Amino acid sequence: MSTPRFDELIHAPTRLSLVAFLAATGWADFAVLRDGIGLSDSALSKQLTTLADAGYVEIRKAFVGKRPRTSARLTTEGRTAFDRHVLALQEIVAGAGGSVVLSRRSSGQS
Amino acid sequence: MTGQVEPADAARALSEIDQRREQAIRRKVFPGWWWWAYAVLIVEFSLAVESGRGVVAGIGIAVFVVGSLVVDVPVRRAARAAPLRRGLAGWGSARRTLLGLAGFAAVVIGATLATGVGLKAAGAPHAATIATAVGAVVFAAVGPMLVRWEAAVLVRRSGRQG
Repeated sequence: MSTPRFDELIHAPTRLSLVAFLAATGWADFAVLRDGIGLSDSALSKQLTTLADAGYVEIRKAFVGKRPRTSARLTTEGRTAFDRHVLALQEIVAGAGGSVVLSRRSSGQS
Repeated sequence: MTGQVEPADAARALSEIDQRREQAIRRKVFPGWWWWAYAVLIVEFSLAVESGRGVVAGIGIAVFVVGSLVVDVPVRRAARAAPLRRGLAGWGSARRTLLGLAGFAAVVIGATLATGVGLKAAGAPHAATIATAVGAVVFAAVGPMLVRWEAAVLVRRSGRQG
């Protein structure tokens, strides 16, 4: 069972989106991440490098035929940090009780 | 550190996390045309076999095999581009997926057999091909529904897990 730990590195909006997407996938192609999160190539590269430097993301570069293909995935450390960050966020929201008026989009509403 | 984060900001972050997970799950792997392309291949296969001529059947089977490989290329590519993490929706999800696939197969085969038996009893010509065409239409119509249902269940269950 993870203990809550707020993670500033993950909480930055773009990185939060990126890590949340990666948390649901295995290896994800650079193009899927870029288009899914809506970033430019350079912005995505920068965020992935930041996360990789922290040990949260593993980057793989391979060739499919002659075309280079870059993929990324969360490391075990990254997944643990993300899980703990989510718990910390849930704790903050729970601590506020009913005072949080933002309606959190439920995953079950589909 | 957490003292500096407002509850509304934390709620927004959790909402963003939910949305990104849902985005990953609902990412389109099967294009709409894929189902109909397969339906055409299935009917072509049936026509070739029902012709009763060895050469036509052989060509029909070859077209089906090659066509399947070609049609599957973009699906395989899309599936590999960002596969969902194993265990995302809990380890019971594989059994549910298999049950869904079995139900889908039962509906398609059931529609095909019922039509075929009915047509044969009525003495209609080309009963097998017509029955297969009905099954192929059911396949193309129900297949996307199965994918959407599977995604909806995954979104719901992974939300509970997370």
